[in-house]
Amino acid sequence: MFETSNFGKTIAILQRSLDVSSLRREVISNNIANVDTPGFKRSTVNFETSLKKALDAQSVTPGLTAEVSDPRHMSFDQPTDWTSVGPTRVLDYLTQTNNNGNNVDLEEELMSAQQNQMMYTLMAQAAANEYNQINIVLRR
Amino acid sequence: MSLFGSILTSSSGLSAQRLRLDVISDNLANATTTRTAEGGPFQRSRVIFRPVVSQPYWRSPFLPESLNNGIGKGVRVNKIEKDNSPPVLKYDPTHPDAIKTGPQAGYVQLPNVNVVNEMVDMIDASRAYEANVTLINGAKAMFSKALEIGR
Repeated sequence: MFETSNFGKTIAILQRSLDVSSLRREVISNNIANVDTPGFKRSTVNFETSLKKALDAQSVTPGLTAEVSDPRHMSFDQPTDWTSVGPTRVLDYLTQTNNNGNNVDLEEELMSAQQNQMMYTLMAQAAANEYNQINIVLRR
Repeated sequence: MSLFGSILTSSSGLSAQRLRLDVISDNLANATTTRTAEGGPFQRSRVIFRPVVSQPYWRSPFLPESLNNGIGKGVRVNKIEKDNSPPVLKYDPTHPDAIKTGPQAGYVQLPNVNVVNEMVDMIDASRAYEANVTLINGAKAMFSKALEIGR
């Protein structure tokens, strides 16, 4: 019912972002739990940039389009579907901040945990607002 | 699921740091113990951590990709290790455990516990513990925000 509407798209984006936010929280928790583990390397989660790229690609029409006269022809530009964009976990194995090979910086991790938590709260609030707007319509 | 996962991960950090604090307390309590069941002075212990991974280590440990074993599940204590560094010698001939004969006669072997190092370790452990507590509280706040979506 809502799949094609603006509401459905907003909810789908918010749901994905909330998922990624809790994944990121798990990764940060793991980094902090291993703050004293020798040889441990921290991980980060990338999602927002690839999502933005995919969403931007929807509205931009490519300047040069290929003439496709056969189903086996390939077009120049293959826009990525934003629903297929997933989070990627990156292992930061090159840096070292500690003598025992560990590269977890407690302050940095706590900062990103706080930032992530605020993003999560913001997006949960936004999702709640979306549903409230639907409720206003339904009440009439 | 994964929100509770982050709470479980943090709680594994809590129990690991708590154990580390226990070991530090033991070291400090025995900072002057000269007589043990194994003989000789007390030796300080230290805790070695290792990460808990969601998949077993299949690949060769020489490539950077092999460090990547899925989302980590926290930390656990690998072992509690004795520090084999030599004991501290103190000249005290009246001590009952003083060495009787030999070139070190009159010296007492005191444990290799450095009280200042232990205190620094203790602060490190309690800060890491606090960081994990902060994360658990934050996860609880996050989860209750998610419960308010349909309200």
